[in-house]
Amino acid sequence: MCVLCNGSVLQVHWTDRKTKNLSQSTMQKAGETQRSRMRERHIRIRQSNKILSVYGLKLSDWTGSKYILTDKKGRTEIVQDLGVLWTIVEKLLGTPIDPLDPKLMNELLPESTRIGEEDKWEKNEK
Amino acid sequence: MGKKRKVTVITGFLGSGKTTLLTHLLKGPSLKNTAVLVNEFGKVGLDHHLLRRIDERTLLLGGGCLCCSVREDLVNALRELLDNDHRGDIEPLERIVIETSGLADPAPILFTVLTDSVLQHHLTVDQVIVTVDAVNGQFHLDRQNESVKQVAAADKIIITKTDMASENEVELLASRLLTINPSAEIIKSIHGNIDNHQLFAPNEKVKSTPLISLVESNSFQGKHAPAARSISLTFDQPLDWSAFGLWLSMLLHARGEEILRVKGMIDVGEDGPVMLNGVQHIIHPPEHLDEWSDEDKRSHIVFIMRSIDPEQILSSLHAFQNILGSRASIREPVEVL
Repeated sequence: MCVLCNGSVLQVHWTDRKTKNLSQSTMQKAGETQRSRMRERHIRIRQSNKILSVYGLKLSDWTGSKYILTDKKGRTEIVQDLGVLWTIVEKLLGTPIDPLDPKLMNELLPESTRIGEEDKWEKNEK
Repeated sequence: MGKKRKVTVITGFLGSGKTTLLTHLLKGPSLKNTAVLVNEFGKVGLDHHLLRRIDERTLLLGGGCLCCSVREDLVNALRELLDNDHRGDIEPLERIVIETSGLADPAPILFTVLTDSVLQHHLTVDQVIVTVDAVNGQFHLDRQNESVKQVAAADKIIITKTDMASENEVELLASRLLTINPSAEIIKSIHGNIDNHQLFAPNEKVKSTPLISLVESNSFQGKHAPAARSISLTFDQPLDWSAFGLWLSMLLHARGEEILRVKGMIDVGEDGPVMLNGVQHIIHPPEHLDEWSDEDKRSHIVFIMRSIDPEQILSSLHAFQNILGSRASIREPVEVL
């Protein structure tokens, strides 16, 4: 339970368990890991946006504890952690996502190695 | 608060010798502070002061797949045990052994223990032990999907009834099991005769022995239609934990039902590796080790999946390479016995 936002956090997602022994110890010093935690949140947001930009979505930080996902029409959704991120992405998109999708994989490759880029140019010239 | 109590799951196909194994275990003195949950009191007289019976009642969560279902019976039984323990009615618990029925999928049990709001703070899943019958094991693997699932979820595989099958048969079975699940440790036994220490010792195979590669896995195709395939990968650079979590959570979200198992040691650029262990959608809380056990400090990850081409995993990782900051490659082929 978070005393500030009144949100009850029943489950810590496994991707948020980077800090050692977080789950084992019941003692936590206030602010102990705060700085690195914020830094990691920003890194994660930047990484997520690399993938999400392919779908035209954008993730941003919200109050340092949750995330906000926005699409280009301005619709927004609150995201608790990575466990629900992909479900909400699908909700906004209306289609399923898949990291094994060849289209997505192609978009993520560096531009020089992308397949099909040259074909696009040829079509434009014609 | 003290240490978390360990949960060991014993599963295996119908008649593969789970109860025999358990009977033998209960005779030993090492199970003193252990509670045992069994599915049915069989004809074999199990005698233990902390023996409980559970009916398999599954509660499917709305919208969830089968592996993300809560075993209501198990929650009740485990909470009751914890209650008794806290009140001091029974001797302090160190371990709880859960024996499943032969057709049970181990995934819901893990899901239950790892996500229940009370249980997750008191229990940790230690390992999944799977018994496979030396005589009928091959047949079960061919015909029964449950059997393949059980093997994929295993940390340790006990080949039982080895006295009733020829040595050749046992070896064939062992190599087939390793193809399905390269990360499992295989123990052979007769009449459930097994050293308790060996059984409950942690499986450190991911880090110690070389794993079989994709090449090996595919060589079985001629003989059996592959119900499950595995790929083991290594990464040349330390992996970025949050990027890898992003990729894996996306993969499990999209293909969780087809990914039977993920297991590995990941170098996240700290002193020690992170142990990753997952069955279908369910990822155990990652464990951070203080140091590497040997010289090889690269990340190793094994994926066991059905109906996904292992090559797809590799090319997806290559596509995400920019974000991950490390390039994946298949581990060099190693001779199997």
